[in-house]
Amino acid sequence: MIAPRRLAALLVALAACGGSEAKPAGSDDGMVAAWKAAKLDVSALTTVDAKPYGATACRGGTVSGVDVVLCSYGSGEDAQAAQDLGLAAVGDATGAALARGARLLVVVDRRKADPTGRTIDAITAAFRK
Amino acid sequence: MRTYIAALIALVCWVGAAKADKKQHRYVGIHPIAKAAGGGVCHIQAPHVHVYAPIDVKVQFRDHDGWNYFVGDPVAYGWDGPKTSYYGHHPVPVDVIVEDDHPDTEYCYLEGPHFHAWAPPPKLDLELRAGAYWYVGTFPPAYAEGRVGYDPIDVVYQPIRYERPTVVVDAAPPGWYGAIVVAPAPVVVVPARPARVSAGVEIHVPAPSLRVEIGVPSVRIGIGGGVVVHDRHDHDDDHHDHGRRGGKGKWKRGRGHR
Repeated sequence: MIAPRRLAALLVALAACGGSEAKPAGSDDGMVAAWKAAKLDVSALTTVDAKPYGATACRGGTVSGVDVVLCSYGSGEDAQAAQDLGLAAVGDATGAALARGARLLVVVDRRKADPTGRTIDAITAAFRK
Repeated sequence: MRTYIAALIALVCWVGAAKADKKQHRYVGIHPIAKAAGGGVCHIQAPHVHVYAPIDVKVQFRDHDGWNYFVGDPVAYGWDGPKTSYYGHHPVPVDVIVEDDHPDTEYCYLEGPHFHAWAPPPKLDLELRAGAYWYVGTFPPAYAEGRVGYDPIDVVYQPIRYERPTVVVDAAPPGWYGAIVVAPAPVVVVPARPARVSAGVEIHVPAPSLRVEIGVPSVRIGIGGGVVVHDRHDHDDDHHDHGRRGGKGKWKRGRGHR
């Protein structure tokens, strides 16, 4: 039997968890929200092949004309180690591959939509926050 | 037939060269964009790659854990973002600026007034005077060692026409050591003033006592052992340190290399 005071505290804690509308920053949805907050035009993120990135799962799309891929890994070390795979995926375009926690962001400007890098800077800055 | 073979060889060579040019170059922080790639300034702060090489890499960039970090004046290349005015040589806390955990202090060897896109962190011994930051701390031996290779950076900026910070001072801050760069001006009379170096050597570096207007540099005044001003002429005899700050020191940067 839970004491009433403890039960109340538990209910408050549950309400606090469930009542928040904010997406966790580490999630894809949270990332999309952060990009939109930075006034970037974000497409839907769809599943992409995770093999080239050595990841467990990846989703990709475009942000203001720049290609982005968000990948998940089993650990932060795995994500860090995958940065070189991400840079390989950038190929001969301008781009970046950044790990944060157990996630990797790969940004590639294949269509030269961002000649001065302002968009990529905004994308990566939101990811690194 | 010979013509076809020659054309084929030329084509193969051209394709090969084009492929070779596609090598990725790693950058961290903002930097000038190669003219062939459109020119201007790349705004990406995070580590990133381009297929063009850094401009004047030997003097304008430093290696930061395997990434090229630009230490020059971005305004000269069209930077229109936040900027801070500096005067003379000073440390560049790269790890603080790019916000990573690879300790790395480099040195800016630009003479006179110039800009950087970063505001100085509180721990740097900089004095704000006449709208510009002047380094008044002690330079470690690494600074003197780097000077041989990096000091020619000013040559890169000489042909570039852009608006440098205008700095109007009566005198350089106490403790500042360097060469004043001024607009065409007459002789300057200066009193003696010591500058600090880490090797424990005391150098008498006079500072200007006259009001000096500093803008687009065209004249360099050598400081030390009397001041000489030459119109449109570099007087480097007294400006360079002649090893005054040299000597093996204990200070050595820790740095994570790949």
